[in-house]
Amino acid sequence: MPQIVLKGVSYAYPIKEGYNVKALKNVSLVIDKGEFVALAGMNGSGKSTLAKLLNGLFVPSDGEVLIDGLSTADEANIFEIRKRAGMVFQNPDNQMVATIIEDDVAFGPENIGIAREEIIERVAYALDAVGMSEYRTRTASKLSGGQKQRIAIAGVLAMKPDILILDESTSMLDPNGRKEIMDIARKLNDEGITVINITHNMEEAVLADRLIVLRKGRIAMDGTPKEVFASGQLEACGLTLPPVTQLSDKLRQGGFDFDGVITAEDELVEGVCRLLK
Amino acid sequence: MPAIEIKNLNFIYSKKTPSEKHALRGINLTVEEGTFLGLVGATGSGKSTLIQHLNGLLKVQDKKHSSVVVNEMSATDKKTLKRLRFEVGMVFQYPEYQLFEETVAKDVAFGPKNMKLDKEEIDRRVRRALEVVGLDYEKFAERSPFDLSGGEKRRVAIAGVIAMQPKILVLDEPVAGLDPVGRDEILALIKKLQREVSPTVITVSHNMDDMALLADRIVALKDGEIVADGTPKQIFGNRSLILDAGLDLPTATRITDKLIANGINLPHDIVTMDELAEQLCRLKAAKLAKANDCDKSDGEDDEDV
Repeated sequence: MPQIVLKGVSYAYPIKEGYNVKALKNVSLVIDKGEFVALAGMNGSGKSTLAKLLNGLFVPSDGEVLIDGLSTADEANIFEIRKRAGMVFQNPDNQMVATIIEDDVAFGPENIGIAREEIIERVAYALDAVGMSEYRTRTASKLSGGQKQRIAIAGVLAMKPDILILDESTSMLDPNGRKEIMDIARKLNDEGITVINITHNMEEAVLADRLIVLRKGRIAMDGTPKEVFASGQLEACGLTLPPVTQLSDKLRQGGFDFDGVITAEDELVEGVCRLLK
Repeated sequence: MPAIEIKNLNFIYSKKTPSEKHALRGINLTVEEGTFLGLVGATGSGKSTLIQHLNGLLKVQDKKHSSVVVNEMSATDKKTLKRLRFEVGMVFQYPEYQLFEETVAKDVAFGPKNMKLDKEEIDRRVRRALEVVGLDYEKFAERSPFDLSGGEKRRVAIAGVIAMQPKILVLDEPVAGLDPVGRDEILALIKKLQREVSPTVITVSHNMDDMALLADRIVALKDGEIVADGTPKQIFGNRSLILDAGLDLPTATRITDKLIANGINLPHDIVTMDELAEQLCRLKAAKLAKANDCDKSDGEDDEDV
């Protein structure tokens, strides 16, 4: 069922008097409920602009963005749309609003007037979902970057969203933090939440079911990660294949005749063993 | 001549308060000039605390028992501290956040100006620094640093450090947050800077693939102590040590382990993808040659009959 619909969306922002930059150009796109989508592209490709259009932080200059049929251009819908599509940003240090972790997670539901009992329930659920229940009454300042991003995700989950948008949420994290966030995103997706992960890291993109690549404000490719990698167009979009896929390409030149595109280490190991025995 | 000599360095944050934290414990480290050193370790292991001692941003706490000497200047000697700061170029995490001037040229000139160089020399250095980081002077000098792309901003920030012509370059997670093209460019730039400007480079990184490829020597910290010190092959070849230090293996080493576990005959100390590809292609070629030999001898047998 279509949940996110973009119809001919363009977005331009002024950089100086009378001069606009077109960050997105006539983008049309449908994302169904429950999808796990990676949205990739190099810096300046328009991927973060697209993310901010999804929950009405930006309103299209042209065209229309619909979330469950609600247009983001209609001010009256924004409240409902932001409840349904929650966003986690890049910098873990910029997203805390309260000192104590449970207060921070409760901030969203408090703002929309949820009853106290239910807030307590929601905060407990959200912290549990990101594996941070034991930190409930602690302060955020001593947390690692990955833990702070988990709290930010909990803040979104406390709003009971249908859509989780990660806007380069892992790019400032170390490898462990990255993995924590991706594991949680996968788990939430399994529970039915649509996940949109904005990233330029292709090792992360392979974890999605669908990979959309933007180039200069337009959709350059849209398919499964394997389809996109097989297209040979990734580098033209300023992105690089995951290391394991690059390795498999080198091995192909050395006579390893793998079936299809390799995106996981275990696939590579299995293929090498088969072809060497 | 060692570029850096650290003896018995300890550091405690918030000393004598409930939140006291022992960030460094008895660090002894000598770095020879010309080394590309990778400093690795989990978040909170003391990497940033250590590098901030190299130019006196953090003061040696126990001067009686500890010392930090850089190019024969003690970091505790006030007389040479200023010169020491010019000789140790620090590129912090997300250095582009520290850009502040109206134009790229002014921003890059900030360091050389502080060195009290004459105007011509400053101008020469700004041009040279921008050229080295791959930004065309004519095109970028008069632009606002805030109108540039993320990768360009980072280059400007690095140029600002390079303009002081430091003998030692220290970079804290230099490619964090960059897209793949920006990453590759900055990593290539750091190699170039080592050849052309600062012979000694210390890079803090979480990316073991990068370190395996770039570093001559890797030093691993855990809970404020050095737990491993050696070439990438020595470090990553020692799996139990890596596990103890809480480090990741480079992708190539991790895949090698899986292949060995599946009965593929590979050396234990593969650390780069190119090495792994070469080894596997060799095995594949050997297998083909063997198959051909068999075919040939089969054929000869047939003729005999």
